[in-house]
Amino acid sequence: MNTDLVLLAVLAGAANWAFRALPTLLLRQEPRPGGLAARFLAATGPAAIATLVVASALPQLYPVPRDLIPLAAGVLATVAAYLPRRSVVGATLAGATAYGAVFWLVS
Amino acid sequence: MSDDAFSPEPPPRFLQGLLQSVPIALGYFPIAFSFGVAATRAGLTAPEAVMLSLVIYAGASQFLALALVTSGAPVLVSAFTLIAMNLRHVLYGPALMKQAGSGASRRLAWGWAWGLTDEVFGQALGALARGQRFSERWMFGLGLGAYAAWVGGTAVGALAGGGALEAWPALNAGLGFMLTALFLALLLSILSRAALPAIAVAAVATVIGTLAVSGTVGILAGMICGALAGVVRR
Repeated sequence: MNTDLVLLAVLAGAANWAFRALPTLLLRQEPRPGGLAARFLAATGPAAIATLVVASALPQLYPVPRDLIPLAAGVLATVAAYLPRRSVVGATLAGATAYGAVFWLVS
Repeated sequence: MSDDAFSPEPPPRFLQGLLQSVPIALGYFPIAFSFGVAATRAGLTAPEAVMLSLVIYAGASQFLALALVTSGAPVLVSAFTLIAMNLRHVLYGPALMKQAGSGASRRLAWGWAWGLTDEVFGQALGALARGQRFSERWMFGLGLGAYAAWVGGTAVGALAGGGALEAWPALNAGLGFMLTALFLALLLSILSRAALPAIAVAAVATVIGTLAVSGTVGILAGMICGALAGVVRR
């Protein structure tokens, strides 16, 4: 097994466990609202996810745009499926299904 | 909100949590399957793909790990990127315990909190908000069902192999879009007026960093600039 891959997994996994478990075990009160820590925590998640949305879609747009119609259908279906039930899993599956279906129709 | 003193119903059991994890497991399995396929397509072995799901257990991070590993990014840079991505999980435990009530036990949180993914957190918080009581064994059931589906789906996808979907181009394309759809759905789930500056700055910085230097630099630039935009805003 690739040593670098195992090291990467252990570092990321240990951090994941710490993020999920330690605040529950140790923190009995929330960070001061409006404080630096609270603002940093509040901004990091949205920044990370927005970055990944762009990073995952960008290769399809640049340098050579490809499969734009399936991409548009997938994005629209994800948003449309998310809004009524607020389900991340449901929206993900709907978006992927729409992308695959439109890809099949236009190819 | 649970309230031990006034609620007549007993605390939920492990099996109840396991049953409530079924919708999450049904959603996780195909996403994990596509991760297993993507991992073997990227050159990983089936045990390596399953190891990533067992040890990291964070969907978006794992797909990103594949991209970083195959692009040759240094281990520490990759680890930093993955860690920054999941920092939002820091808020889940305290938010859940606040909903569970002050008397809720957290003695075994070192175990069940490992399963606090976005979806498990959402499911648990929703159940508590609808009036269900909190128990740690229920959290174990909820988390274990989702975890098993994630690891199992990865194993099946990895064993099917990177070439498994070549005869099914539309299915292959749909599974390939699943990562973008997952990120987009996660973004929608945390979208708020307060988060908009961080989101906008992160998006612009990612595009500039990627086009000017590389994909890895774009990801780092987006996360750092976006988080700083959130800290400095008034």
